[in-house]
Amino acid sequence: MKWLHYGALLLWMSLSGAYAQPPISFGREWQFAQYLADKEAVTEAVYVLERLEPLAQTNAQRDSLNYFRGWLAYTSKDLTVAHRKLLSVSATSPFYTKSRYFGAYCLAFVGNRDSARVAMQTLPTPDSTFRELKALQLGGLALLQRRYADYEAQRQSFTYRSYALVNEQQRLNRYDSTLRAEKRRSPLVAGLYSAALPGLGKIYAGKTKQGIAAFLPILSLGLLTYEGLRKDGPRSARFIGFGSLFTVFYVGNIWGSILSVKVKRNEFRREYDNKILFDMHIPVRNLLN
Amino acid sequence: MITRFCLICTFLCATCLTNGQSLAQWWLQQADSLAGAGRFFEAGIAYDRVGFEEADSAARLSAVFGKVHCLKQQGRFAPAVQYLNGEVTNIYPDSVLLVLRHEQITCAYLAGQFENALSLLERLPYLHPDRPTETPLTRVVRILSLNELQRWPEAGAAYQQLLAQAGADTTKTPYRQLPRLKSEQKAERLSTFIPGGGQFYAGKPGEAILSILVQSAGLYFGVTNFLAGYYLSAWGVGAALFGSFHAGGIRRSQNLVKEYNSRQVRQFNETVKKEVLKQVDK
Repeated sequence: MKWLHYGALLLWMSLSGAYAQPPISFGREWQFAQYLADKEAVTEAVYVLERLEPLAQTNAQRDSLNYFRGWLAYTSKDLTVAHRKLLSVSATSPFYTKSRYFGAYCLAFVGNRDSARVAMQTLPTPDSTFRELKALQLGGLALLQRRYADYEAQRQSFTYRSYALVNEQQRLNRYDSTLRAEKRRSPLVAGLYSAALPGLGKIYAGKTKQGIAAFLPILSLGLLTYEGLRKDGPRSARFIGFGSLFTVFYVGNIWGSILSVKVKRNEFRREYDNKILFDMHIPVRNLLN
Repeated sequence: MITRFCLICTFLCATCLTNGQSLAQWWLQQADSLAGAGRFFEAGIAYDRVGFEEADSAARLSAVFGKVHCLKQQGRFAPAVQYLNGEVTNIYPDSVLLVLRHEQITCAYLAGQFENALSLLERLPYLHPDRPTETPLTRVVRILSLNELQRWPEAGAAYQQLLAQAGADTTKTPYRQLPRLKSEQKAERLSTFIPGGGQFYAGKPGEAILSILVQSAGLYFGVTNFLAGYYLSAWGVGAALFGSFHAGGIRRSQNLVKEYNSRQVRQFNETVKKEVLKQVDK
């Protein structure tokens, strides 16, 4: 009889276990999101984490959640969400150091350079390598903002001894020299050059092919205008038509030369900004990922 | 004392036996009902939970098929291929692995990964040497993938095989009349020496006439100005217009041939697709 009772009890427990809704715990859901992220199901992992937010009761849970949401956003290149979530991880979290470095880098990458500087000034430095890493981040940011004196100050902390940092430190030094030596070309001079000889302003700005390409049609139109003037006189439709076209192209080329100085300068800056950001990123990944 | 001991044992055994399994079962039921309601994204996550709860291989397999079904319903074929890559493991028997691989091949085709679909198909006989790996579905995927890659002789041979296996008439096949593709090089040459010739060749007589007209206008302007003594205008306007429209005409004729060819290929592939599906339906 007793054994019958035990059997019934076992059956009841099995059935109740099979049909009851499983309790949802923060830790288990976090592990599940991790499981999904490991399987590269990032959209699904984000969905699970978003539904987990109301369950985060303690600071530690909120930190874990913010870190993971931020990290997933970083891996899927949604850097605006990434820096917002990563920088809200508190100092008591085991993810704090990693979150701060990646969050500050994301801020710098999306162009919030002043906010990035504030975030980078409070980066944690548990040892000498991290002190150098912090200096490298602040130095890189100083270069992005073209604050050469600040870069000089940060560079004093570079020892060039850490394998994870030495290449990037040397490259930042090179960028510093190149950026300082950047020739400041004047839009006004470019405009004057193009007024004197069409296309010359673009060559001065550093766009040689564009300069030649601008010179040839203007020369052709100039010759056609001259032919119209010489053969048919100043009141002829030929002279007025070609003359008008020549004027439009001539003035347009002067304006284009002025703009091309700015375009070339932006291209140069963008190229170096990308290089600097790349060299800020690599050591953070190597040391913290 | 003995009773208490037995009760503790019963409780521990029941908990261990039912906890993981029942959770997995619960999530499987949830996933099925979500999928039934058309909520495929949420259902996909619920199926993932079954794998996460370390279900037995039967429940896990149901979850795998469910997840793939959900991904397919969402049109996420490439993630389905990737997901199946992780799931095709040795925990399943050979027969099940074969079904999973067939599923992966179908998803690869639907994702437009034709090379991948063919490569997965080629591997089947080596991975499952003891079983027949060909099914009507794999035959269809092979023919259609070869077709998409324009490997028509191989596609034709595979189609013949399909007809033979279906007991159908092997003489009636769309591969007897392959699409006639035009040569871009020929169009380029024609347009170089005969203005508008490339466009005519590409089957666009309207564009050909327009091209002839604008090139002629440039030429006419150049010649008349030259004869009137406006040498610079003849060169700077007439010759420049003629040259520009001539060069543009050459490039345009090449693009038209490209468009014509891709249209022909698309039409042919559609015809083959219909024929193949008709054969499979029989």
